[in-house]
Amino acid sequence: MKVTRLIQARRAFVSIAALALAVGATAQPGSAQFGSMDAPAKPRATVVYAAEPQSVPAARRAMLELRFQIVPGFHINSHTPKSELLIPTTLNLEPETGVKPGAPVYPAGEPYSFPSVPGEKLDVYAGNFIIRLPVVATPGDHTMGATLKYQACDNASCYPPKSLPIKIVFIAK
Amino acid sequence: MLFAGLALVVWSGWKNLRERRSAMQEQQNRRVDLIPDSQPAAAGDSSAGESQLRGKPAPAFTLLDLNGKKVSLSDFKGRPLVVNFWGTYCAPCKIEMPWLQEFSLKYAADGFRVVGITYDSEVGRDTIAQTTQRLGVTYPILLSTPKAEKDYLSNTEALPMSFYVDKTGKVVEITAGLGSKDELEAMVKETIAAGGR
Repeated sequence: MKVTRLIQARRAFVSIAALALAVGATAQPGSAQFGSMDAPAKPRATVVYAAEPQSVPAARRAMLELRFQIVPGFHINSHTPKSELLIPTTLNLEPETGVKPGAPVYPAGEPYSFPSVPGEKLDVYAGNFIIRLPVVATPGDHTMGATLKYQACDNASCYPPKSLPIKIVFIAK
Repeated sequence: MLFAGLALVVWSGWKNLRERRSAMQEQQNRRVDLIPDSQPAAAGDSSAGESQLRGKPAPAFTLLDLNGKKVSLSDFKGRPLVVNFWGTYCAPCKIEMPWLQEFSLKYAADGFRVVGITYDSEVGRDTIAQTTQRLGVTYPILLSTPKAEKDYLSNTEALPMSFYVDKTGKVVEITAGLGSKDELEAMVKETIAAGGR
């Protein structure tokens, strides 16, 4: 039995790693490809990420960099997708004592078209992207919770919106 | 006094270090599902539940449309039909749906029909209606249920997903993802031709 895949999407791990804290996003081995057409691998989409704190000057406006990585073969809508019917990528911050965050600064997206409809342009993030977060923080260590909301697609299909919880660890001194 | 002060500073530094290590460890241990627990069915994925439908009778359903009216698969008995699962967040779905609309009119004389089943029904009828209106879709749009998703989609969350049902009620083709308009029309024609005259 075969399911007709109109446009063969790469079956890949899709992972976003919050490198804000961190730094190493490690996809599962053998992630991005499937085997033969008759025996495709069925990997699970998971990611592990580690945290490494950033350092910013205390008591004045400083910029944190939140680095994210999308596994090859997938993209997510940018913060400003071209259609209001699409779900934008957004970062929601949790309150943290001693930290006054500003509005996140999202990168510009890049144009993307589904292969079978090259005329339809979307605005997406693919590969690595950085969200910059202005903060004014009191001296000391801070751990601020946040959630990245995004909606991902591959080159033919889309997946339900997801939330990625992260912790932004930094020292203000 | 001085000793006590120094001890306090050392203790506080140590405690702080432990907390930071703990936070870091928590980060390292965190495993996050990003895309779907399940991946889309790819060509030849015989393990996918949806592929097991091919050649078999389309699973029966009775679902509510946007006006709250019950619509059943049996309402389309004797007609070639596309059952199209879509979502309001799904860009390729919204590219494909106007094509399905066009074909539903173009091949109406052959008895061909299209029914859309909204995967993200939780966004509400207003949002769904607004979306389909903008897309120019007039074929029936139904609200999905866990049972319909289990029967048709099995464990995949990939959209769009379409099931081509011939006039005998048998699933003759299944597609996952967006293809070209020509490919879609070819499958509509095959579905119309299938099941005999």
